[in-house]
Order: sequence, then structure tokens, then C-alpha cells
Amino acid sequence: MANDPITNEIIQNSLQAVADEMFVAMQKTAMSSIIYEVLDMGTGITDAGGELASSGAGIPAFVGVLDKAVKMIAAKFAGEVAPGDVFAVNDPFHGGVTHLNDIIVAMPVFASGKLVAWTANIAHNSDVGGMAPGSLTGEAKEIFQEGLRLPPIRIIDAGKPIASVFDIIRLNSRMPEVLEGDVWAAISSARVGARRIEEIAAKYGADVFEAALVDFMDFGEAVSLKGLKALPKGTFELTEEQDDGSVFNVKITLTDETFTVDLRDNPDQVAGPINSCRDGVMIGAQMILKSLTDPRGPANGGSFRPIELLTREGSVFDAQEPVAMGFYYEIELRAYDLMWRCLAPHMPEHLGAGHFGSVCGTFIGGIHPDTGRPYTIVEPQVGGWGAAQGKDGNSAIFSAFHGETYNCPAEINEARNGVIIDRMELNCAPGGEGRETGGRGVVIDYRTRAEDGYVTVGYTRSRFPAWGLDGGRDGSPNYVRFIPQEGAPQEFAFVSGLKTRPGDVIRVITGNGGGLGDPCERPATKIAEDIFDGLLTPEHAKDVYGYDG
Amino acid sequence: MTKTIRVATDVGGTFTDLVCFETDSVTGESRVTTAKSDTTPPNFEQGVLNVLEKGGVAAGDIDFMAHGTTVVINALTERKGVKVGLITTLGFRDTLEIARGNRPDFFNLDYEKPKPFVRRALRREVPGRMNYRGEETAALDLSGLAGIVADFQAEGVEAVAVSLLHSYANPAHEEAVLAELRRLWPDVSAVGSHQISREWREYERSNSAVLSAYVQPVAERYLRRLESGLAEDGFDGQLYVMQSNCGVDSLEATARIPITMVESGPASGFWGAAELGKLIGAPDVLALDIGGTTAKCSLIKDGEVTIMTDYWIERDRTSAGYPIMVPVVDLVEIGNGGGSIAWVDDFSKLHVGPQSAGASPGPAAYGRGGRDATTTDANLWLGRINRDYFCGGAVEADMEAAGAALQKVADALGIDRDEAARGIVRIANNNMVNALKLVSLNRGHDPRDFVLVAFGGGGAMHAVALGQELGVKKVVIPTGASVFSAWGMMMSDLRRDYFLTALADLAPGASAGIEAQFAAVEAQATAQFEAENVSPGKVQFKRFGKFRYQNQEHTVEVPIEGAVTEAALAQITEDFHAAYQKEYTYRLAAPVEMVGLHVIASAEVGKLTPVEQPLGDAPASDAMKGRRKVDYAVEGIHEADIYDGEKIRPGMSFAGPAVIEDPGTTIVIHPGNRVEMDRWGNLHIILKTAEVA
Repeated sequence: MANDPITNEIIQNSLQAVADEMFVAMQKTAMSSIIYEVLDMGTGITDAGGELASSGAGIPAFVGVLDKAVKMIAAKFAGEVAPGDVFAVNDPFHGGVTHLNDIIVAMPVFASGKLVAWTANIAHNSDVGGMAPGSLTGEAKEIFQEGLRLPPIRIIDAGKPIASVFDIIRLNSRMPEVLEGDVWAAISSARVGARRIEEIAAKYGADVFEAALVDFMDFGEAVSLKGLKALPKGTFELTEEQDDGSVFNVKITLTDETFTVDLRDNPDQVAGPINSCRDGVMIGAQMILKSLTDPRGPANGGSFRPIELLTREGSVFDAQEPVAMGFYYEIELRAYDLMWRCLAPHMPEHLGAGHFGSVCGTFIGGIHPDTGRPYTIVEPQVGGWGAAQGKDGNSAIFSAFHGETYNCPAEINEARNGVIIDRMELNCAPGGEGRETGGRGVVIDYRTRAEDGYVTVGYTRSRFPAWGLDGGRDGSPNYVRFIPQEGAPQEFAFVSGLKTRPGDVIRVITGNGGGLGDPCERPATKIAEDIFDGLLTPEHAKDVYGYDG
Repeated sequence: MTKTIRVATDVGGTFTDLVCFETDSVTGESRVTTAKSDTTPPNFEQGVLNVLEKGGVAAGDIDFMAHGTTVVINALTERKGVKVGLITTLGFRDTLEIARGNRPDFFNLDYEKPKPFVRRALRREVPGRMNYRGEETAALDLSGLAGIVADFQAEGVEAVAVSLLHSYANPAHEEAVLAELRRLWPDVSAVGSHQISREWREYERSNSAVLSAYVQPVAERYLRRLESGLAEDGFDGQLYVMQSNCGVDSLEATARIPITMVESGPASGFWGAAELGKLIGAPDVLALDIGGTTAKCSLIKDGEVTIMTDYWIERDRTSAGYPIMVPVVDLVEIGNGGGSIAWVDDFSKLHVGPQSAGASPGPAAYGRGGRDATTTDANLWLGRINRDYFCGGAVEADMEAAGAALQKVADALGIDRDEAARGIVRIANNNMVNALKLVSLNRGHDPRDFVLVAFGGGGAMHAVALGQELGVKKVVIPTGASVFSAWGMMMSDLRRDYFLTALADLAPGASAGIEAQFAAVEAQATAQFEAENVSPGKVQFKRFGKFRYQNQEHTVEVPIEGAVTEAALAQITEDFHAAYQKEYTYRLAAPVEMVGLHVIASAEVGKLTPVEQPLGDAPASDAMKGRRKVDYAVEGIHEADIYDGEKIRPGMSFAGPAVIEDPGTTIVIHPGNRVEMDRWGNLHIILKTAEVA
């Protein structure tokens, strides 16, 4: 029997409130700055089978992860799930989707003795073991080198933590207290959510609650289909060279009912950690569809039903065990950006020029010179976004993969990590000129104080910066300039475990977004303002815009 | 006859309100008068003088005046401040624009980052560095300041904000820049970030300083004119200004840092709820204020409001907003009030708010051309509001317009008007319940331990339904619920909240350092009060520590009784573990760190003493004025007793279903509820817990 629409609406609103509450609970208790400050995490609620019903704030690239993990857990433990149980998984080949640092924690919710839903969350943990501090290194050739692999496992049995499991998790980390604290933050968040859902399901009854979830997902599908109808139809294709010389290809076919992404014609998986599993690129497709059809509405399993994804087993977009996956996010982001660029010329009102397009994951570690305790900075970086119709691009925002993500204040970085931030300013390098200009990336100087420190980075869009559109200039590259106290400076976009000494400067430079339209069409008043604000030199204004003041 | 006259004036967006409490110092009897006049932008002080005249209050007779104003928040949201120049540490001029890099509306690729209040050309740098311990690591170089001042002057800058790295730990560099700035430019309006906040996070502190500078000349001009206008009319009493931290402060202090008034509107009501709770022996209160456009709620524990410095304007699911790091009462606000518009989306889903019909055209039933159904229209349609006594009889309800507006909603949903009206009330209630859960359950508090105190024009209409849903102990509607905020102002203390980032491991040997930090803040507070002629003996302190497990970031605030000694450390640590577990369900064996402290310094400034009346034995039927059918949404339609709120006396008691009407409020009493009026005239509604949404 169908519920009355108001009851459906109330239950569905409440799901959103619960997912948000889970998010706050986790943020406030986490021990890794990547979770509590950067908010590299996500929360959500699925139905009994693991289909996504509601997602909390956080980052869009995690929205579509939880359902895939819960489905694996639900299938593996079918019939053995009890109230008070908590499960975990992090292995991308067993439902974990991303990389081993991201542990997904899920808790079943019961109403009248029946499994009706799951609450789940995912967060990036600072160190889960493996060959390098922070567990991420460009040197990894196999996933075994990237840390402790957890298939779907039970970690709490009917409310009672399974001590042996926690012992294993602790022993495998270089930062056992932090890892344990973060896992407990995740458990607490899942419990808070489960308790709330139980109350809602008990109040309305299990059947009414489940019917409201079904209705919500059907609604999600209807919204996507409506949006899809309004988009241009046809098959679009793009081939693009990457920083490493490999060539990626995508074909996207839109009909009134389907959004088909074909990524089969792509290179084989690589020996390093820059690979994605199929679930990973699926998330890229989900994000682009959501942005095109209904960016403001709720995202749930129904929203993504129109997607058909074609991949080739053993390719970088459908990598197979036991390949390394640490930097999966860069390849996933490349797939997403490929789809964006493929469609942008055909949907100008939805899609602008390219953005700096990299997570710019930056890992800096060592021993805090004042406390003697080890620290690890695990930070994505902000950069410039592309210009869109009638609008200059935003400056200094995290990549499309991140959302409610915060950079680390210099004052906190200096206190907590014992580094000195000499500057954190907009990148005024040329790039991104156009009728509308790309937004600015940033320049950040981390001066290290620690003995025996290290730095690891993995940036893409370093050789080929953010793409301009419709005559707009390309943006500028993402890279690091390393300025040691002794020896010559060097520039790179990928480095693993480079040793640092006190006084060395790690200068992070993130790119400007792509421009849109012919620079000659940019209004003189705007050029004058950019010059006045020190974003543009008069010489460059003359060269690119033909502007003489 | 000796009497004391206390006056609260409140400048809102549309109206300037006056509430006058006249207390006979012999009998203790109190008379309350109210008046309302138009707000008079840009000369807001004129509206205050007008409303005094309208209320028949002679300025010269006033002993104590508390003043609340939306001047600061309006100047911010309407962008009517002055041109600001910002001076930062070398390498950090762009902090204000980089902000935190977040994009809450994350699927929206058309997101627009909030623009900084100071353009890049007017953000300038000075060399010099402090570290996080407040030690100088590079000397301050002011040689470029004259050039900066010249540029600022040439560009028409009217106020300057100074925000340097780690000034929370040591403000010496900021103070030096300010001193040199004032020497070079004696009449400039200038503020240092350390004057607003002593907490870390440079973007938040810089933005706070910038926004303070932005409104400072506007607010100071306004306060000065108010002061002189009142003086001309003969006022020689004490004038205090309502603050966002639920206290009042002197006009002098407020004129220096006016940004502290930013959220003063709701603060007085929540303070009133805390005071009311203490008065009636219910110190744990969920306070709910429903107005025309929004509903705001806050939690009060042990008679204490929660004050935080994590306040943002224009921040929601679609925008990152702007932070203002000043002490603000912890509240959740949602776009649901009496004027909230009900609408149906393309997928036949009903929503209520956040758009509001406002005061004009207002709800359809105002008959002023409003075509959209609002919560008020639904309440009228269901008989919850008396159509023959709409707005206290001041407005004739246009039921035809209300019906037509509801018909639009009903048609879009394929249901009838009654169902549509019930749906609107249920959705509005659900939105408010979720907000109330955010301040209670979400922070580890069980609503069943709380009393719900509801006020504002629409609070009483929905309070019982919400209270039932949450399972609160009971609902209390204060006497004069529609002017309750003014009452709250009369109950406020002169109060300042000091927050300071101060790092220390909570380990043996730490007590002396922590105690010294507290003592320093208290000495500073005492000196500040003394400079304003408040003797040290009148100042009371409350101490709180902000603690976390090592490696965490977010803190839990724990009260600290008495001096911090080595002996007290164990108890403080245990208090933290307990508070943490309450909020987050678990505790850890990890080391505990102190990250900061919070000191409340307060002094009483002649607050109102509520007067008790004897409980009478007159029957409630004396106050009954009729019966009518009322639709209680999920509880069905009932024949309800209608009471005249002005005739209910202390000691009267009756049962629901009922509706209580007085000129300012309508209180909906559900079936199974029991109502009693206490000695102070507050209505206590004892609930039968039932499903309401």
C-alpha cells in the first residue's frame, strides 16, 4: 500500500537530517586532521539491501561509495546480521571502492526484528600500515604494499567490540592511537544514525518506513530522467593525452532514458598506484550525471539508475587485483574530467571550462620539533576553477571531488605540525585568460622544521593544465617547487618519500582554471580591475588582451 | 510614590518595539505597557524616540534602558557598511579570499564563492612574524605603513582592520600596527583582530575583524545619535545594549566593537527562557522562538545558555557564508515561520519555506494580495487560529483568499484543501522538530529531560505538537509570550564572554600554567569593568576549559569550579571524559589536552524581579469564551474549548482539546493535555505523549 505523501516527505526529510547528524558526530570526534578539518569523509543511509537512500554532507566522490560497500557486507553476512553489530571494509576489490586508507563502517538498523536499513560512513585514515608512512606512495606496485586489507568483517558483535579485530587494526598502523580513535569516531557516528533511524522506523512501522525509501529512490530516478530529457541527445567522444603520455578516450551516449559512458578504449592498468576499480569510475559518471540533471536535489540510488557504464577488465579504469590503488582518486578524477570535457562544448549552460582538476594530495611528515611526536600532514589543495558563461571562475576551491572540505589554517598547521607556512596566496601566474577568466590557484610555502622529514605528492594536470573552452586560454599547471636549504631547487608533480631537512621549503603551486571565450572580448573595465588588484601585469594585459590601459 | 521604570526598546527591520516595566517599589506590583512604531532608516534612533513618545514614556523617568538593534546584521546583509582596508602578515593578503576552499553545494558546478568584503588592492601586508607560542620570530617592519595609509586614503577607505598571524597568542604586533596607524591617520576607525577574538584560525579571525570594521562607523554613529537623542529628551539613567552572548554591555564598549551585537535579536529571548526556567524550577529548557519568517531554537542546561564562537552569516547548504568569531548564543535557525510559503515541486512533493510572504503581502488571509498559502493560512483553515479573532481582532481574515491559496496546493497534490492544510502543518512541524533535535539529541541531550518554552508570535501555536513529538516533560508558554524577548532583556546581566586559545597537556604539573591563564583573563575583565565604574566585588566569574583527546581538533567545554590546582586536575579530567562520553557515546584512554579557555564575567545591573500572585480558586470556566471545531491534523477534528488568555488567572486549570487566545498569541492545546497557570502567569501544559506528525 502506498504511504500518504506527507508521511513519505517527513520520513525522507528525516533521513537527510540523520545523515547530517552522523556527519557532525564524526567530524567532532575524529583524530586525523584529514577527517576533522579537511572533512575527507562521508555519511549515508541505505535500505536493507544496500541501495543508497540518503547521503550527508561531505564530498561528492564519497556519495556513491557507501552503497557499494554495504551491498558487499549485506550479501556476505546475509541472515547473520544482528542488532548492535558493526561491520567494516576497506579493500577496493571487496566493496571498498577507493583505497585502503578509506575505512567504511556500517551498522544495520532493525525495526520490529526486521532489517530495514544501514547507516554507513567512510573516512580517510592517516596510516593503515604498508610500505610508506601515511600508507600512500608512488612506489607501490601491489595493494599489499599499501596497508592492511580488510574484506567485509564484523568488528562489533551485538554491541560488544571484538577485541582481536581491534588488536589487528592497531598493530598494523604507525599511528595506532589515531587510527583507533578515528575508527571509534566512525562507530559512534554509525550508532547515532542507527538510533535515529530506529526511532523513525518504530514510529511509523517497518513497512511504512521501507515504502518511504522505495518512494524516495523512485523520486530520485524521476528527477534524473526529467533532467536527462532536457539535455542534448547523441553520442559524444573525446580523446585526450595525459601528463604521462598515455591517451584516454570516452564516448558518452545520451538518450531520454539512459546515460551511457563507454570507457573501454583505454590503456591497461599500470604497475604503480594510479589505477581505479570499476566502482571508482562509476562514481565519476554518477557525479557528472547528478550535476547535469539536478545538482540541488537529494542524491540516492534512484538518481543513478539511468547510468550504463562500460569498462574493460584490466584497464586503468577497471583495474584488477592485486594492483596498487593508492592514488586511485587522481585517475578517477581524470575519468570524471574527461566526461566533463567531452560534454562541455555541447552543454554550455551546464558546463564551463576545465578546473585545476587534481586533488593535489600533499603528504608531509616528520617529528614535531616542539612535542617530539610524529605528525603527518595529509592535505588536498585548493585551486582555480574554470570560467563559465558570464562568470569568471572561482579562485581557491577544492577540486570537483571535494565539497564541504576545508583547508588547514596556517595557525593550526604551525602549532599542530611544527611547520612554518611562509605564504598562502593566490597564484598570479599567467593562464586562464579569456572573455571570462579562470579562477586562481594558490601558492603555499611549507617550511619544514623537522629532522628526517619527508614529502610525498601526486598531482595531475601538471603537463596539460586546465583546459580552456571556446577560445579561452588553458589554465596553469599544478606542481611542487622544492627549495632545499642546501642544493638546487627542483620541480615535480610526483614524488614519493623525498627526505627533507630543517629549513627546506616545499612550495605547492596549484593551477589557474581554464578561460572561456576569446580574450579580446573581455571588457576593459574588468582588465583594469585585475591590473589594479595585482592579478595581472600591464605587460601581460597588453600581450594577451591587447589592452593599453 | 516611588517606582522604577525599566524600558526595553528593540529596533527591527519593520517595527521598533517598546516594552515598559513599571514597578512600584513599595508594593512590588508591576505594570507592563507596550508600543510599536515604524523603524526609521537610516536614522534609526528617531524610531526609538518616537516609540517612547507613543508609549507615553518620558525619557527622563527611565531608570534602566536596554536596547536591542538589528542595525549591525542589516548593514552586513544589505552591504551598507563602509569601505575597509585590511593589513595582514606578509604572505597572507589573500587569506580573506582563499577562505577555507569549501563548496557546500557540491554537485553544483555553477557554485559562486562568497566575495571577500575587501578587494585585493586594499589588502596589504607588513613583514614580521609571531609563532604559535606568541614568540616573535621576525621583527615587525612598519616602514611601509605610511605608503599603505596613503593608498587607503586615496581609495576612500573609511575603516581599517588589522589581522596578523598568531595575534591570538600575542597581540603585540597588531597593537604596534594600530598605534602607528593612529599616529599616521589620527581619526581613522581601526580594529585589530585580537580585540575581537583571541582564538586561532586566521581566516575566521581576519574576516571577523573586517566585518567589524565594515559596520563600525555605521554602528557607532547610530549609537552616538541614540545617546544624544535620549539625553536631549532628559534621559539620565543607565543605557545598555543587548549583545549576541545574551548579556548587555555598555554603550561605550559596544561602540568600540559593535560586531558583538550581530545576533542580539534572538539572544534576549533565549536568556529570558533560561531565567524563566530557573524561576519555575525547570533549569533544563528547550527554547523555541517562532516568528514570521524563521524559527530559532536553543538548549539551556542547568540554567545556562551555551555560548560559542562558531558563528557564520549567509551560510547554508548552498553557500559557504562568512564567519564572525564572536560569542554568540548557540542556536539553530530554520526558514519556517507563520509566513512561510507552502509550495509543491515538479514531483508532487510538498514543501514549507524557506521563502516567506513576510509582512507584505503576508499570508493570503491578510487579504493584501498574497496568493500563496502560508503556515498561518493552514492554521486558520484548520480552525487552530480563530478566523473571527485574527491578529487579536486587528485583521479580518480573508478566508476566501486563504481557501484559494490552499486550493492551489491541494490541486498540485491531488488532495482536498483540508488535507493540504493538515499536510502543511505536519511538514512545518517536522521541519521544526528536526531543528529541535539538532540542538538536543544531536548534542547528546534527551528531550525527555527538558521543558519546552515557546514564545514569539507563532511559538505557542505549534509548541504542543512539537513537545509531544519530542516527548518533553511539559510545555511552558510564558506570560506575554509575544514580548518575551523584551522581558529577557530586562533579566540580562552586564556580561562578557572571553575565549582564549591556550594549549596545555592536561598532565601533572600543568595546573599552575592553566591557573595563571584563567587569572590573567579574569584580571583583564575586572580592569575593564572597573574602568566602567563596576566595582570588582560585583563581578562574578564562571570558568570553562575546552578539552579534547590528544590529536583531536574539536573540543568539549567543561565547567571548572574554583582554582585549578594539581589536586583538581584529576576531577577536571574525569569531568571531560564524562562530558565527552555523553555527547559521543564512548571514551578513550588517550591523553587529554586543553586547547582553550572560556571565562564568563558578569555583573548584575538591576534586573527585574518577577512578582508572584496568589493562586486563586476561580474556575477556569470564567475565562472560557466559547467552543469551536479545531482540526488537530493527525489527531483528528475535535470540539475545543476556547479561552480568553487575558482572563486566565493563576491557579486556574483545565483540559484540552482547547485553544487559548490573547491579542498576541494563540495557544493550541491538544486532546489529553492539561493546562495550569502558575503564580507568575505562565501557562504550563502537561502533555499526553502522542503521535503528532
